[in-house]
Amino acid sequence: MEMITRGIEEKTYTLNLGPQHPSTHGVLRVLLEMDGEFITKADPDIGYGHRAHEHMAENRNYHQFLPNLGRLDYLHALAYNHGYCMAVEKLIGVAPPERAEFIRVITNELNRIASHLLWFGAYLLDLGAFTPFLYCFDDRENILDLLERVTGSRLTYCYYRFGGVPLDIDDDFIAGARAFVKRLRSRWSDYDNLVTKNVIFIHRTKDVGVVTKDQCLQYGLTGPMLRGSGIPYDIRKVEPYSAYPLFDFEIPVGQNGDIFDRYMVRLAEMEQSLRIIEQALDKLPNGPIMAEKVPKRVKPAEGEVYQAVEAARGEFGCYIVSQGDIKPYRIKLRVPCFANLSVFPELAVDTLVADLVAILGSIDLVIPEIDR
Amino acid sequence: MLQDKIKAALAPLNLEKVADGDYAKTGYHLEVAAQPEQMPQVAQTLLDTGCFLESLTAVDLGESFTMVYHFANFFELCRTVVHAALPKPKGMPSISKVYPGANWYEREVFDMFGIHFFGHPDLRRILLPDTVDYHPLLKSFAGDPWK
Amino acid sequence: MQRSLQLEAKTGEPLIHLGLLEEALNLARANSLWPMTFGLACCAIEMMAAGAARFDLDRFGAGVFRPSPRQCDLMIVAGTISKKMAPAVVRLYEQMPAPKYVLAMGNCAISGGPFYYDSMYAIVPGADLLIPVDVYVPGCPPRPETLIEGILLLEEKITKRGRLRKFRDVTG
Repeated sequence: MEMITRGIEEKTYTLNLGPQHPSTHGVLRVLLEMDGEFITKADPDIGYGHRAHEHMAENRNYHQFLPNLGRLDYLHALAYNHGYCMAVEKLIGVAPPERAEFIRVITNELNRIASHLLWFGAYLLDLGAFTPFLYCFDDRENILDLLERVTGSRLTYCYYRFGGVPLDIDDDFIAGARAFVKRLRSRWSDYDNLVTKNVIFIHRTKDVGVVTKDQCLQYGLTGPMLRGSGIPYDIRKVEPYSAYPLFDFEIPVGQNGDIFDRYMVRLAEMEQSLRIIEQALDKLPNGPIMAEKVPKRVKPAEGEVYQAVEAARGEFGCYIVSQGDIKPYRIKLRVPCFANLSVFPELAVDTLVADLVAILGSIDLVIPEIDR
Repeated sequence: MLQDKIKAALAPLNLEKVADGDYAKTGYHLEVAAQPEQMPQVAQTLLDTGCFLESLTAVDLGESFTMVYHFANFFELCRTVVHAALPKPKGMPSISKVYPGANWYEREVFDMFGIHFFGHPDLRRILLPDTVDYHPLLKSFAGDPWK
Repeated sequence: MQRSLQLEAKTGEPLIHLGLLEEALNLARANSLWPMTFGLACCAIEMMAAGAARFDLDRFGAGVFRPSPRQCDLMIVAGTISKKMAPAVVRLYEQMPAPKYVLAMGNCAISGGPFYYDSMYAIVPGADLLIPVDVYVPGCPPRPETLIEGILLLEEKITKRGRLRKFRDVTG
């Protein structure tokens, strides 16, 4: 960039993006230092959604903390439920029965698709396209109806319990899920024509926001941000849990690490989730949905546990320290967006504001998760 | 095997404890205990073996803190946990020169516990407003005095 | 007898009563509320779903979500207000031009919701501790239909006449 000096003093100026801004996905404030249209420094300021989950964990017993998990990342709440329930089950030594594991996987994958669909719609809204938002919210409503039958809520689920699930899925749910899988598969061509082949979208996302493999290692990125750069790390395959080893699915991986690759990874992940749901529905065993001996008052022995699950945004880790009390001594919720956002200042240097918004959206942020 | 590689790499550092973990019960493959001063070297060793920083947190035990670092690897499953016992008034060396991702984690620990990190480029509060004067996750915290 | 209907003005008694014109103005204001995109947490998603194709806020006139507070007259506080965010909420409210309305959506905006506990330090338990609220929409999160009911209630409050009362479950 050539600087033509005309005897005027030129200096950078500071622009404040947020916390109230249509594309900050919650309440994120980014302080930008700009040199004309180019950004020299971007400093995210988080904490506007801090709701003290970890402090609440120390003041609640294990059962009472269950609703909090759904409100961390409300878009893929079931994965967070899953991670916490598995961590506590490890501490108290209870294993859920097979049907419960299958139900957990089916509902988890449905939720993952809903989360990716919402990202898809909201991201394109950021870029300025209004139509895909309506398409994917429509598809998402189908999932929400299905999940509402069995969990009771549309968004912030609190469905899994220690030892299994409380409500069983019925034939209507299974038929609805199969119909949904068929319907969504027929929509891929719509999304392709509307977005993937769209020239404006390609120009805005190819070679923008490239995340290198070194950055992935140094910042601990997980999820589609990592897989878009070419590293096939998915906890469901690398550290399998629940019923995932029984299913056959692939891990989609990108090559360049730019926004377009991350977008393609998420689309492909939705298709893989559909595969998992189909296989799970085919192989669904009969049996109990709750383990037999689950203590009414969960009072684990002294010790600590770390359980990782693959959420839509990356690796969710639940670290629980117990000192033999009915309340946890310390719960640390390792959320994927925290690490994923910490690489943003590096990605934002020397970009334009429009590219900045595109990069910020492609990280797939849910701010209440970062702020806990 | 990555586990053996890490154990061999950590051997010259003379750490307090480098032992196999009980994966089925705790989720760790390797449990390591280190002194706070040794943390940057431990972090560098783990970065050289290709591990990434999964999580960085602290636990308030009343008389002292325990710093807990979780490391994992993208290509081979091996979760390493490093515990470092930190007596109360002391601070901790920062590992953000080794792992830039630790920058925000250490700011969060400073915000919640008040632990100071030496060598951190920009140690300020991250989640709570700057005007606040308490550290909420300390066991001695009894609620917002200005509620 | 003067049949003038007065707005419940936030800034005090109106100086001029315009009679039937005011009734018409209220009808116009109620049927074309422009909400601000102010989603703080989970309720924001249900607000977005209410604006999407299935529940469609636009048929009530309230579908034009404006990002700038200077261009809207309805602030839907959707989500928990943390202490760090509280000054921003007040500032945004002050930036809105009168007549302005506030709808507290979700349990967090009403009274702190599931994040209210004894030694809490992080949140402001309720939007009405900061700004005057007109309608409270409970739920965690409230269904989009509940939000639409809240907006219809707000319209009633503005126009002093009900809409589609025999289809809704309202008393009084």
